[in-house]
Amino acid sequence: MKNILEISGLKKSLEGTPVLKSVDLDVRLGEIMGLLGPSGSGKSTLLRCLNRIIEADSGNISYKGKDIKDYPPSELRKEVVLVPQESVMFSGTVFDNVSYGPSIDGYVDKKHILTCIEDAGLPSDFKDREAEKLSGGEKRRVALARALALKPEVLLLDEPTSGVDPKRKEKVEKSILNFSKKRDLTVLWVTHDVEQAKRISTKIANLRDGRIFRIYDSVDFHGGEAF
Amino acid sequence: MTGIPYGIYEGFLILLSVLSLLVLVVILTAIKKLGISKEMVTAIAKGGIQLFAIALVLNFLFTYDAWYILIWALLGMMVIIGGYTSAKRATDMPDAYSITTPSILTGGALVLIVLAITRAMPLYPQFIIPLAGMTFGNSMRICSICMERLISEVKQNKGEIETALSLGADSKMAVKNHADTSIRASLIPTLDNLKTLGIIFIPGAMAGLLMGGTDPILAAQYQIIVYLMIVGGGTISTIMATHLAKRKIFNEKEQLREWVYS
Repeated sequence: MKNILEISGLKKSLEGTPVLKSVDLDVRLGEIMGLLGPSGSGKSTLLRCLNRIIEADSGNISYKGKDIKDYPPSELRKEVVLVPQESVMFSGTVFDNVSYGPSIDGYVDKKHILTCIEDAGLPSDFKDREAEKLSGGEKRRVALARALALKPEVLLLDEPTSGVDPKRKEKVEKSILNFSKKRDLTVLWVTHDVEQAKRISTKIANLRDGRIFRIYDSVDFHGGEAF
Repeated sequence: MTGIPYGIYEGFLILLSVLSLLVLVVILTAIKKLGISKEMVTAIAKGGIQLFAIALVLNFLFTYDAWYILIWALLGMMVIIGGYTSAKRATDMPDAYSITTPSILTGGALVLIVLAITRAMPLYPQFIIPLAGMTFGNSMRICSICMERLISEVKQNKGEIETALSLGADSKMAVKNHADTSIRASLIPTLDNLKTLGIIFIPGAMAGLLMGGTDPILAAQYQIIVYLMIVGGGTISTIMATHLAKRKIFNEKEQLREWVYS
C-alpha cells in the first residue's frame, strides 16, 4: 500500500509558542489512522496544516507524491477535507449546507447529497431542517455529510464525537467507519480517547509535545504509554 | 426676501447674543452634574474656529481667478483626511488607509463626475466645494461604518469563514455574506434618513437653499440630488472597500491573516 500523505520535519508556532516541533508521519492510502495525544499536543494544528487552512512554518507535506504547495489551496481542500471540532453551520437548510461544496463548482447532484446525509447517520427527511437549529450531535453529522459531498480522498476528522452523547458515540463511529469503507477513504482521526482510538483505527500515531512519539498497530496498543 | 437679512458685522453681534444659549446649557449641565460642560464649550469653540477658517479659505477661493488650480489641493486634502479618519475605525486591520482612501476617492469622484456631466453641479467653487465636501464626508462616514462592521463580522465569524475555505470556497466566496452585511449596515442610517425626509426634518442643503431664498420646489429637487449623491458615493465606496479588504483579510494562499485571530 502506498502513502497518500507524507509529512516530514513539520514545524508550526502559534503566537510565538512552538506547537509542532518536528512532525514526521506517513499515512497510507485507505488507512484509518488515529491521532492520539493530550490536549495542547498539536493534533488540531497538524490537521489544519494538512489542508492548508494555516501554513506550516517549515517542513514538508506531500499529498499523492506532490508537495501540497503545488496544489491550488481550494483544490487541495476539496480532496483533503477537514471536519473541524466546532461544527459551524451556514444559514439555510441541511441540504443547503451539505450541497455547499459541490455548489461552488456549479453542479449539485441531489441524489448524491441525500446519500451523504444518510451515510452520515441522519434520516433523509432532515434535508429541509434548518441547520442552525439542530442539536450539537446532529450538527456534527451534517458537518460529516458536508465533507462527504465533496467526494474527498482524505478526511481529517478533529474529535468528530466530542460533545456527542456517550450512548450515541459508537453509533457515530460506526457511521464514519461504514462510509469510509464504502468510499475507500483515508482518514486521519484526532481523538484523546484511547478506547476510541483502538476501536476506530488500524494504526495509532501518538503525538506528544509537538512530535510523533510513536506509531502503534491498534491491536498491540494498550494506551497507558500514550500520555 | 432673499438670503440672510443682515451683514457680517451685525451677524457677529447676533452670534454673540445667541451664544447666551450656550451659557444656558452650560449652567444646566453643571447643575445636573453631567460633567460635559467643558467638553461642550471646547467642542463649540473648536467647531467655530474650524468653520471660520474654512470660511476665510472659501472667501479667498470664490474671488481668486485661478480657483480651479487651488481646488484640486482642497479636494485632495478632503480625500486624504477622510481616508485617515475612516482607517482609524479599522485599527485591527493593518494598513487600512490603503483601502479607505482609494475607496472614498473612487466613490466621491465618480459621483462628482456624474453631477458635473448632468449639470447638477455647476462648475463654480460655490458649488464644487460644498458638494465635494458632502460627497467625500458622507463616503467617509459610510466607509467607516462598513469597515468597522466588516472587521467585527470577520473576527466573530472566523469559524464559519474557515469552514467555507475548508470546503473549497475561495476567499471571495468565504467572506461574501459578511461583506454584504457590512455594506447593508453602513447604508441603513442614510436610507432611514431618506425615508423620513421632509416629515421629521428638513435636511441641511434644502434648509440652506430655503434660507437663501430659493424656490422650495427647486430646493427639494436639489436636496434629492444631494441624497442620490450621498447614497451613490457611499455605495460605491463600500463596495470598493470590501473588495479591497479581501487582500487584508486573506493572504495569497487563501488563509485568514494573523490579525483576524488576535
